[in-house]
Amino acid sequence: MSGIRHCRVKLPPVALTTPGRRLVSKYPVSFEPNAQHVHEVNCYISGGPSAENFSDLSREKREQAKSAIKSAVREEKELKFNRLAVKDNIAVQGLPTTCASRILRGHEIPFTATVVKQWETYNAAIVRGKTNMDEFGMGSHSTASAYGPVSNVHPLEGRSPGGSSGGSAAAVRIRDSKDALGTDTGGSIRIPAAYTCTYGFKPSYGMLSRWGVVPYANSLDTVGIIARQLERITKMIQNLYHKHDPNDPTSLPNSVRERGIGLQSHPKNGRLDGFTFGVPIEYNIEELDSRIRTGWTQALEKIQELGGRVVPISLPSTKHALSAYYIIAPAEAASNLSKYDGIRYGKRDDGTASDAVDGVLYANTRGAGFGAEVKRRILLGSYTLSSEAMNNHFIQAQKVRQLVRRDFDRVFVLSNPLKDEEVFDLSDMDGSVVLENKLGPSQVDFVVCPTAPTPPPSLEDVAKQTPLDAYMNDVFTVPASLAGLPALSMPMDIPRVPALGTADMGFGGLQLIGQFWDDARLLAVAGHLAPVISTETFMAQSRFHKHLAGE
Amino acid sequence: MARISTKTLSRYLFQGQLPRRGCLSLWQAHSSIRPCPVASIPSARSLRQLRTDASLTQRDPAPVHVPLRKQLKDEAKKAKASGKKKTKNVDNQVVDGWELTVGIEIHAQLNTARKLFSAATTSFNDQPNSHVAYFDLATPGSQPIFQKETLIPALRAALALNCDIQPVSRFDRKHYFHWDQPSGYQITQFYEPFARNGRIMLQPRDGIAAEDGDGISIGIKQVQMEQDTAKTMAQPGDVQWVDFNRTGVPLIEIITLPDIHHPATAAAFVRKVQILLNAVDSCVSGMEAGGLRADVNVSVRRSDDPSAPLGTRTEIKNLSSFKAVEDAIIAERDRQISILEAGGIIAGETRGWSIGSTETRRLRGKEGEVDYRYMPDPDLSPVIIGDDLVSHLRTAMGQLPDAEVDELIQEFGITSKDALSLVALDGGNRIEYFWNVVDALSARLGFDSPETLACYQLAANWILHELGRLTASHQTDSAQPLEFTPEGQCERVPVKHLVDIVISLHQRKITAKVAKELLWVVYRGTIPREYASVREAIEKENMWFQELSEAEYEVLARSAVEGQDDVVAQFVDCKQYPTGKLMFLVGRMMRLGPEEKIDPKNAESVMRRFLKTYVVELKSKPS
Repeated sequence: MSGIRHCRVKLPPVALTTPGRRLVSKYPVSFEPNAQHVHEVNCYISGGPSAENFSDLSREKREQAKSAIKSAVREEKELKFNRLAVKDNIAVQGLPTTCASRILRGHEIPFTATVVKQWETYNAAIVRGKTNMDEFGMGSHSTASAYGPVSNVHPLEGRSPGGSSGGSAAAVRIRDSKDALGTDTGGSIRIPAAYTCTYGFKPSYGMLSRWGVVPYANSLDTVGIIARQLERITKMIQNLYHKHDPNDPTSLPNSVRERGIGLQSHPKNGRLDGFTFGVPIEYNIEELDSRIRTGWTQALEKIQELGGRVVPISLPSTKHALSAYYIIAPAEAASNLSKYDGIRYGKRDDGTASDAVDGVLYANTRGAGFGAEVKRRILLGSYTLSSEAMNNHFIQAQKVRQLVRRDFDRVFVLSNPLKDEEVFDLSDMDGSVVLENKLGPSQVDFVVCPTAPTPPPSLEDVAKQTPLDAYMNDVFTVPASLAGLPALSMPMDIPRVPALGTADMGFGGLQLIGQFWDDARLLAVAGHLAPVISTETFMAQSRFHKHLAGE
Repeated sequence: MARISTKTLSRYLFQGQLPRRGCLSLWQAHSSIRPCPVASIPSARSLRQLRTDASLTQRDPAPVHVPLRKQLKDEAKKAKASGKKKTKNVDNQVVDGWELTVGIEIHAQLNTARKLFSAATTSFNDQPNSHVAYFDLATPGSQPIFQKETLIPALRAALALNCDIQPVSRFDRKHYFHWDQPSGYQITQFYEPFARNGRIMLQPRDGIAAEDGDGISIGIKQVQMEQDTAKTMAQPGDVQWVDFNRTGVPLIEIITLPDIHHPATAAAFVRKVQILLNAVDSCVSGMEAGGLRADVNVSVRRSDDPSAPLGTRTEIKNLSSFKAVEDAIIAERDRQISILEAGGIIAGETRGWSIGSTETRRLRGKEGEVDYRYMPDPDLSPVIIGDDLVSHLRTAMGQLPDAEVDELIQEFGITSKDALSLVALDGGNRIEYFWNVVDALSARLGFDSPETLACYQLAANWILHELGRLTASHQTDSAQPLEFTPEGQCERVPVKHLVDIVISLHQRKITAKVAKELLWVVYRGTIPREYASVREAIEKENMWFQELSEAEYEVLARSAVEGQDDVVAQFVDCKQYPTGKLMFLVGRMMRLGPEEKIDPKNAESVMRRFLKTYVVELKSKPS
């Protein structure tokens, strides 16, 4: 017991406000989209509202796609609600899948991803188009695309839409698509959701099939959903909770899916009584924007108002999580991307005739085909996998990854269904862990923290960032990715800065992280929380209820 | 060098058109050499060419025409005279003062229906690119699905190599760029292979070097599963065709410890592994069909200090025959020794070997070596192998070839050479045929009688040699192979017919000559086409052996000796008759008498008896 040091609880400062305060909308919530908007935000690579984006396709395919769109327009009425935007790293037969990379320009994968088929089956979804993204999913602002950057939605033009699923988020935000499929490797769904005032959900690793999803880092890649309404996400997850895909070796088998559904006490009557929410003290970082910190604090108050219990927790491995992520993900990426060599995959660079004998046959093709960020991560990954660096980097990072998972397993009430029950000895714990009582630290149902440290930054600022600064943006999203946990980013109100005028819409992203396979409960709790922490959601819901009531 | 006059040169240069005044005079004289196209173009370049040619020829002595055959003959004669005869491998296993160390990696194609990570079927020489799944082509978005069934032959192989099966093993990616590898990496088991710590025993009968004495045990470090690559087919004009049918076909790689010190033993090891894998049905095609490939690691060190570390090793890749393994090791050993003796150092490098050459050639050095950046495959979960599966396979595996050979030698009294051949022939099908014959014989004759044992040996002899003769002879109808099935049946020579022949022969109801004729009759299908059985054929053709009576033999002996007194004279006062001369007389008996009624053995004993009295007669005869 000598290893335990008592720490002072360091909660973010909580500004007390009057309970039951009425939320009043101060700004317009929505606008009607048109093709012009779609072009301005540059959210589609192929498909979308006009045929101009089909330059990659052959003439014949272009005609087919055009007529598909025409018939889609005819059925606009019925289909409007079920348009699905699909990130360009998810295969849809008939449309190119380029991962927004020059090297895959015009490349079509000859089958459709399982998730897209599932959306077509369970949601009668129609694929609207393939959305723009950071090349191969590498980036946090959707600026690293061979098709030009994605812009955030009016009135936030010139601000980052988040990445890498920025096109998907923008397509949803602009109301051109009802839902969007994206992928989340280290926050690529949650950060765009936080920056566009939408809901972005990364389910537990292994729930949604990755068959047909071009891998960036297989052990982290998770297909996720972006939508304006949380209920749409909840409904699809309920549908797909039990759907094992035999084509995906990492899709959880049915026996394990059953085992995962243990404790199922869902919230009742809009209350959160009996639920404990953990606030990780390590997440209150210096770089956290004060508006986000305030928004976080307000959200915690709301939880308490609804009867939830808020306690400080410690996730000591968090400080190493980002480093571990930026070793593991580039290593897997370097491996995955080695197939784009211009022989079978990738446009061969014919400009240079010399295919030298000394093993650089592919260098020119790869040099011309990949963008700067992709090259940076391939180099990083190739280095950390090299025989001289393997032990000091890759192996260490994998150990950190296990520590991150253990941290989460320790704080959650539920045990991890993939692991044997672990006993956490107090003497093994980091000294910074706060004890609740003599039995040890408190255990929680969910972890609550911001999605990103700041509101959407301006693209100008983003351009000035060093790669290392840019990686910092993922600091809150990466731990859940490393541990494979379900995590939701939901809009939350933050204080507005009057000086920014209309460019400040006063929202941020609040992240809810649950134990592995606790997705359903997480979404149910979030459903109770959503309208009380976001004015926009509240307004949308009351409009909807009024609509139902026939007003 | 002797100067050759232009007169001599002109006789064969430029079809005799070269002017005698020398090359330079071409300047003035080119009109006179019009028929020669080269000289008729008075450009500087052609001139330079001309000069060079001329001066070159000038330095060489005038060639004298020698027929090729004579040349080869002379060279052989010269080589013989100078004692530079190519050393036979058997005498070239050791170099005094040096110790050779060899480790081997064998890649063997597993006998499976499907590929390692896709449901595409495996194939051999099918229409190119007709058995390819998305994953085999590394289509972006496709994923590997481990085919559990491929474990069965892999485990059998590991058990045959006496390995410890690992309860948990994993797959890793080995990265390198090549067009035969569409994903940019090969999936293999680098960090945690499925089998470790194996061992096989090699005995003198396996063909190890004499220096390895009564036998040697070779340790196996590990056995791992991995994917094969696509097949490249070179086309004319620097074009390569790629057939992805082979991509992803399961292989096992067997890695030995550096326990081998003699080239012949290395070859014996590879041969033994092929026989073992074949016997347990893990790998059906051998080295000759490309189903098995070997890489060898070779190093040498001086033998005076056994505590010294091993020398720098080089790796010779892609050896495709047992002989290539032995030859390449000998060549590489000798190359390394000669470098070291000249004070040089060995560079760790990868080398290649072409069949029939005398030297290995450098492929790439250490600096050109690839860092494969091994990484656990994040899509593939660990392979968990249960004890129940391992023990089931162990019990169901049957007898291994070594135990079988031992049984043949000890229980059946078959020579070890014959026993080994029986087990190795036709991929193990020939020995199954033998066991069927054994069963049929014991059913007919009873189990333990000495007669049955003798029949077994006779049958083994026939199955190995007489059946072999059917297809090896130059008869036109012997082109068709015998085709033994894995169940040990042979349609062309059914077990029951062979058993009939063997028993009749053993019981001396037919002669060996008749027996061989009958075998041809069976092989050609005349039985059962014209005769229902062997017995009926003998019956109808009246081929039963009706031996001469004692008296008839004696008459024959007497007539054979007639007029051969000078031969018989050599038998006088002999304690033991000279065999050659005796057989000459027996041979005469056979020629003189009705051959089909004579048993050579009986003829011989009659002749011996006859000679005893005849020699006395001869002695008493006044000369």
